[in-house]
Amino acid sequence: MTEPVLVARHLRRELDGDPPPVLVADADLAVMPGRFTAIVGPSGCGKSSLLYLLGLIDRPTGGQLLFDGRDLAQMSGDERAAIRLEHFGFVFQFHFLLPEFTALENVMLPLRRLGRLSAREVEARATSLLADVGLAEKGWKLPEKLSGGERQRVAIARALANNPRLVLGDEPTGNLDSVNSARVVELFRALAHEQGRAVVCVTHDMGIADLADIRVSMLDGRVIEVREQNPPS
Amino acid sequence: MLARFSLLVHIASRHLIVRRRQTLVATSGVAVGVGFFLAVSALMVGSQNDFVRQLIDVAPHIIISDELRSPPPQPGIAAYPGGAVQLHGYRIRNEVRGLKDWQRILASVNAIPGAIGSPSLSGAVTLRLGGRDEPLAIVGIEPGLEARVSSISDKLRAGHLDDLERVQGGVILGEELAQRLGRGMGDIVPATAANGTTRSLRIVALVKKGNSQLGSSSGYMLLREAQSLLGRPFIINRIGVKLADPYAAETVAAGLEARYRYKAQSWQERSADFLSLLLTRNVIMYTVVSAILLVASFGIYTAVSNSVADKRRDIAILRSMGFSQGDLQMVFVLEGMALAVIGILLGWALGFGLMTILGSLEFPIGGEIQHMPLDRSPRQYAIAAAASLAAGVLAAWLPARKASRVDPVDILRGAV
Repeated sequence: MTEPVLVARHLRRELDGDPPPVLVADADLAVMPGRFTAIVGPSGCGKSSLLYLLGLIDRPTGGQLLFDGRDLAQMSGDERAAIRLEHFGFVFQFHFLLPEFTALENVMLPLRRLGRLSAREVEARATSLLADVGLAEKGWKLPEKLSGGERQRVAIARALANNPRLVLGDEPTGNLDSVNSARVVELFRALAHEQGRAVVCVTHDMGIADLADIRVSMLDGRVIEVREQNPPS
Repeated sequence: MLARFSLLVHIASRHLIVRRRQTLVATSGVAVGVGFFLAVSALMVGSQNDFVRQLIDVAPHIIISDELRSPPPQPGIAAYPGGAVQLHGYRIRNEVRGLKDWQRILASVNAIPGAIGSPSLSGAVTLRLGGRDEPLAIVGIEPGLEARVSSISDKLRAGHLDDLERVQGGVILGEELAQRLGRGMGDIVPATAANGTTRSLRIVALVKKGNSQLGSSSGYMLLREAQSLLGRPFIINRIGVKLADPYAAETVAAGLEARYRYKAQSWQERSADFLSLLLTRNVIMYTVVSAILLVASFGIYTAVSNSVADKRRDIAILRSMGFSQGDLQMVFVLEGMALAVIGILLGWALGFGLMTILGSLEFPIGGEIQHMPLDRSPRQYAIAAAASLAAGVLAAWLPARKASRVDPVDILRGAV
């Protein structure tokens, strides 16, 4: 039995107000390594909010979020940033590359921030990450010179820079055509199945949801169903 | 740690390079501020130093005279301090004017390391010539000592201080006075003292025009001859003191005065009014100049705060990537610092150029070509740099703090 990477217990996120609007209500979820989890639901159901809570970008107003047995909800901002840097990788609907930096430099950013590798090793690792997403030749280009699909693949390479245990995607295919979209989904599945990472994706694309190992359905801030679609072999 | 810092510098520098025009405006603001600060303060400090040097050099650093700041207690009062009976209308004892026991005072002055004392006797005489009377304050000096204490020998147009020793009845007069009398070098002028003694004095040297302090109405004689002319043998009423460190004059003077009770006046006390004027001038200068630097820092504030506003999306991305709030604050503070540093370097060059131009200007004053006194010490450069850097960092810190507080969730969700 594999241990989950991340466990959410009664995770809750409310906004200020009276009565407080609830974004995520008492979500319970275990994120498993080697599995591709898709969070689905109608827009406004709180799926992105849940993802930001899981990804430590937002802070829950209640509940627990356990990572390696530690409650991330109680940690300081710097500690959460350090965990994000080392263990989490994010891919968004928009590529979110820094426009002043080349594709290669963008991939190098998290590596340099973590500071565990020498300058030469950083460049070598970033180059090989770009090669893994099929962009070995385009590392020197600025983001504006790349196509939408290419940018998204650079963003994925960047998310994988520090070899994260958890990869989070917020509609990562939302802005891509079907060909590029299929390619990204294939990459995500490979990250889970071949590299053993935990992958969590928010999507409203049922085609992608069908390809996921676990489908989490949400409605009005609540997790209404967690379904195993593709039991581990 | 170093890797992290160099990464943040890298990000900050990319931001600045992309925003060339803003960068240029902000840095030139700082450069102009620093440049003019240097030029103005070089002028102000330079002229002030020049002025103070003249104040110090015009007379001995300390003058001990035979005056008392308060009258000595009368014997009756000294004998019964706090007595129940108060005495009125007692006769005040007359004392002979002059510094009593002056050899002892002189010896203790000379015992101070680097200090030299020069005794002198001054008194009034009248120069009577062709029916004209010219009052003259005569100062009897020891030429060898006086030359070391005051700068009188530099101010002689013709003749030499030592000539007082060589010529019987030699006197040194101001050029203006000699002109008024129609007398020149080597001529004889008759002098009459208050007690009726009359001597013929021979002009052996002239003091240059424009030294109004040495005066158009004072003259120098040999101490012995002055004592004889004024009828006050062996008496002196003034000791001029030169110190190795002129700025110690105030404390040394206070010490001497406490010990001998005679008034010992330092050059600071003598020119207190000028010094307070200088203080006011400095306050004005630094107020104006800090305003210039402050305005320059507004440029930095605008540049950095525009950069923060422009880069909100990048801030959110970097935060999601695992950059801490401190990292982002640092990026923008570094941007402000970089703007300040580039501005400072340009400003130094500008200031240097302005000073070179100011220094090359020539002013004919009193028949001599003079240059503006400029203070080109590195201290001014350091002050300008430190003030601009501090203002720049502060100006950048405010928007940088805002940058670090950007909530990534809002931006990542609502991103365009």
